[in-house]
Amino acid sequence: MQQITAGTFVALSPEILAFVSSMLVLMVGIFNPRSVVLTAGLAALGSLVTFAATVVLLAIGFQGSFFGDGYVVDDFALYFKLIVVLSAFFTVLAAARWAGRTGDAPEYLALTLSVALGAMLLVSMRDLFGVFVSIELATIPSYALVAFDRRRRESPEGGMKYILTGMVASSILLYGTVLIYGVAGSANLTLVATTFAGTLSPVGLLGLVLLISGFAFKVSAVPFHYWTPDAYQGAPTSAAAFLSVAPKAATFAALLRILLQGMPEAVSTWAPVMAVLAIATMFVGNLFALRQRNVRRMLAYSSVAHSGYVLAAFAALQGAGTDVAVQAVLIYSAAYMVMNLGAFFMIDLVGEDGKSFNGLFVTRPSVALCMAVFMAALVGIPPFSGFFGKVWIIAAGVQSGSIAAYLAVAALVVNSVLSVPYYFGITRNVFFEEPLASTEEPKGTGAIKFSVYVLAVATTLFALFIGPLAGLAGISSGLL
Amino acid sequence: MITTMIVFSPLIGVLLMLLLRSADVRTVRYAALGAAAVPLLTVFYVYFVYGSSLDDPSLTQSFDWIVSLGIGYRVGLDGLGFGMFFLSALLTLIAVVASWDIRENVRPYFTVLFIAELGMLGVFAAQDLILFYAFFEITLIPMYLLVGIWGDENRRSAAIKFFIYTFLGSTVMLAGFLALGMLSGPDFSIEALGGGGTLSQTTQIVLAALILFGLLVKVPAVPLHSWLLDVYVSSPISTNVLLSGILPKLGTYGLIKIAVPLLPDGVEPFLPLVAALGVVNIIYGAFVAFMQPDLKALVAYSSIGTLGFILLGISSGNALGINGAVMQQVTHGLYSALLFILVGIIASHTGTRRIDELGGLAARMPYVGGLLALGALSAMGVPGLGIFVSEFMSIMGGYTAFPVQGVLAALGIVLGAMYLLYMLQRTIFGPVKPSTAEAIDAGPIEMAAIVPLALLLVVLGVFPSLLISVQEPTVELIIAMIGGSA
Repeated sequence: MQQITAGTFVALSPEILAFVSSMLVLMVGIFNPRSVVLTAGLAALGSLVTFAATVVLLAIGFQGSFFGDGYVVDDFALYFKLIVVLSAFFTVLAAARWAGRTGDAPEYLALTLSVALGAMLLVSMRDLFGVFVSIELATIPSYALVAFDRRRRESPEGGMKYILTGMVASSILLYGTVLIYGVAGSANLTLVATTFAGTLSPVGLLGLVLLISGFAFKVSAVPFHYWTPDAYQGAPTSAAAFLSVAPKAATFAALLRILLQGMPEAVSTWAPVMAVLAIATMFVGNLFALRQRNVRRMLAYSSVAHSGYVLAAFAALQGAGTDVAVQAVLIYSAAYMVMNLGAFFMIDLVGEDGKSFNGLFVTRPSVALCMAVFMAALVGIPPFSGFFGKVWIIAAGVQSGSIAAYLAVAALVVNSVLSVPYYFGITRNVFFEEPLASTEEPKGTGAIKFSVYVLAVATTLFALFIGPLAGLAGISSGLL
Repeated sequence: MITTMIVFSPLIGVLLMLLLRSADVRTVRYAALGAAAVPLLTVFYVYFVYGSSLDDPSLTQSFDWIVSLGIGYRVGLDGLGFGMFFLSALLTLIAVVASWDIRENVRPYFTVLFIAELGMLGVFAAQDLILFYAFFEITLIPMYLLVGIWGDENRRSAAIKFFIYTFLGSTVMLAGFLALGMLSGPDFSIEALGGGGTLSQTTQIVLAALILFGLLVKVPAVPLHSWLLDVYVSSPISTNVLLSGILPKLGTYGLIKIAVPLLPDGVEPFLPLVAALGVVNIIYGAFVAFMQPDLKALVAYSSIGTLGFILLGISSGNALGINGAVMQQVTHGLYSALLFILVGIIASHTGTRRIDELGGLAARMPYVGGLLALGALSAMGVPGLGIFVSEFMSIMGGYTAFPVQGVLAALGIVLGAMYLLYMLQRTIFGPVKPSTAEAIDAGPIEMAAIVPLALLLVVLGVFPSLLISVQEPTVELIIAMIGGSA
């Protein structure tokens, strides 16, 4: 057993900082319950410091495994920690106004940071039980976040549905973990890999299926996606935005690590399953999104569809496509973060009814432009961020040379087109419809606007960052 | 470096429009006019300085963009793209002049127009598949907005229809591009991919099918054209100039620049089909144009029809046909822009676009009537006008490769003459109708939009070598590439 040394604390510094910030926010909140500027500022500062610590670890090339090889810090993990903590930063800014009105801002912000903490731990776990514990650490506060809005009936309802399905998913995940542990005699991925070679035993196969199902719940893949629209519609906007981006990206990262480090030999078993999940998820997500008039619900189904796109990259994790497919997940997560956070935050700026976007181009041109950018990015039109995500996934699918991946990529192409009517339904309202009579600019939206503008610029100029980002993704993908 | 500067020079216009927040409409228009002149003047500069040596290193630029996938920022000019590069800059300027009648949201209008110009210039300068695709798509949203915000009452559905159809085509094409680049390296440099590399013929055929589909939707080749009429009829005139003058050529240019030279073995089995589609365009366009009561719809179908000659020329695979096709891209742009602007002028001065409500325009609007006759004669392929040269070359080239299609295309010229003369007879000649009785002739600004186009058609008819001499060296390279691997 390895000793806990100073290096362990360095390795855990981002998580420690995130934890300390969330506790500080709570404590400061006890004494200043009304000062949302203070608590939100503290939360934002905390996430920035955490971000800085993660960047430092990345810059000095910090690597290592801790706690008996159960916890690793590598570029792959750090990359996802950056995404999680950046999302937390923007979410805190966007949440401040709403949370301040509830009077429970410290709790809301601390919960958000706790979700981030769980997600950050998750991407470093190389032990199946560690994976389970950190998923729970990220999920349990998120139940509270979804149900936080007591004034809207949908919020507790969505929270309830989320808890019930989430519990079932956790049990399934745990059951799968235990079965794999039973077969392999260890929960460590390196040791699991030695067992999951050659022909799988029936119990091992069952464990794998249950594990994948549990993950499918967490990333809202079809047929385990039913909680998503209700939970996101009920959740406060900032919570829905955050949950659709940060914990999801971290869950994909954990799944990537488990499959590539724990079960690389069983690829012929799980890759086709991923392709089926991917195809079903994209189609269901997009077809249901087409019917939505409520922007929040539409974005919820859109996030289901985008999970399908990322799963298409999982189907390509074989042969020559492996490296490109891992990079695809990395790039897509970054691209999705900037465009989807922005798209969700727009709801707090404009409204959740599709009609509230009518004529925005005339009444509030800059906000209108941001919405157009996010919608175009979600469709995947160059030069916006989503385009590069799709490029990588298609490239990986082609490179992998597997029929299942080809089919998943073909479905991605079809679904890109299928998604145009609902994303551009909003764009159409923004540009082509007459403004509504009462389009009062909401007050106190400075912080949300700041987030939205920064995210819109990042979405638009993604092409300028893609070179370095791809370099980082290239290094990270080599580690798995 | 020069090429990059020209491609991104429309951003000057975008910036100006953002800065002139409180300026009056007049100032905004003149500022747009000035900004639109910048790319055009620099293209002229390139023509006179580098016209015979477009491969000059100061015109090309290449650096890594996404190293792991072999995608680079690679731009440069060659004979295939130069004519269209020039035409994009010219028609944007013309579109600015032709949009003098836009009164609402003038600043956003020009902003969007300049972004479209950036995309168009980029397509004809891109030397990398992904960069090509990116510029190809950058034109899409501006066009969607131009039609959807400033079009007529049917604009909303027309805009979204246009968007979905062409996006479907281009997404399929993107899959083809990515497969092509990933399977050969990965490398996405158009130059490096020339000749098809080591790809087997089966792979090439699959990739060619994907890419051809995307490009033919963009053209549009006839069974894939159903998005077109609504868009052409609903859009404002200045947008028509780009919609018919440049956008179809993104498709045909992609055929000549990418599909044919990069996948020679894969495209070969499709060439008879492309030639046949060209002929279908010519004949179908002529017949449907014949039956249109709306002058704008007639011009729209005429424009689809004459695109067929480009397809025929490309499919020929010989120097004559491809030279004709490359030149037809430019002459087609000139004549269709001319006719669309004339339709706009006639509609705004008489209050109608219906052919049966027009008549006697030659007497009431002599300049407009005369130029309409010139445009129509040009569309017929009358010698002495630019289109004659390019159509003739396309047909001769096409006939050498596919005699049946060649003969049918020549027959199409006769059909074209029929509907165009019939249209002229009913509009500029004949008795003066109530709607034309009070019509006044085009004003100076309107004339400024159409006269350059008419002049260029005449100049290219008399001196086609002005254009052909630029494009010929590159066409020969393409021929060598096809011949070398077929």
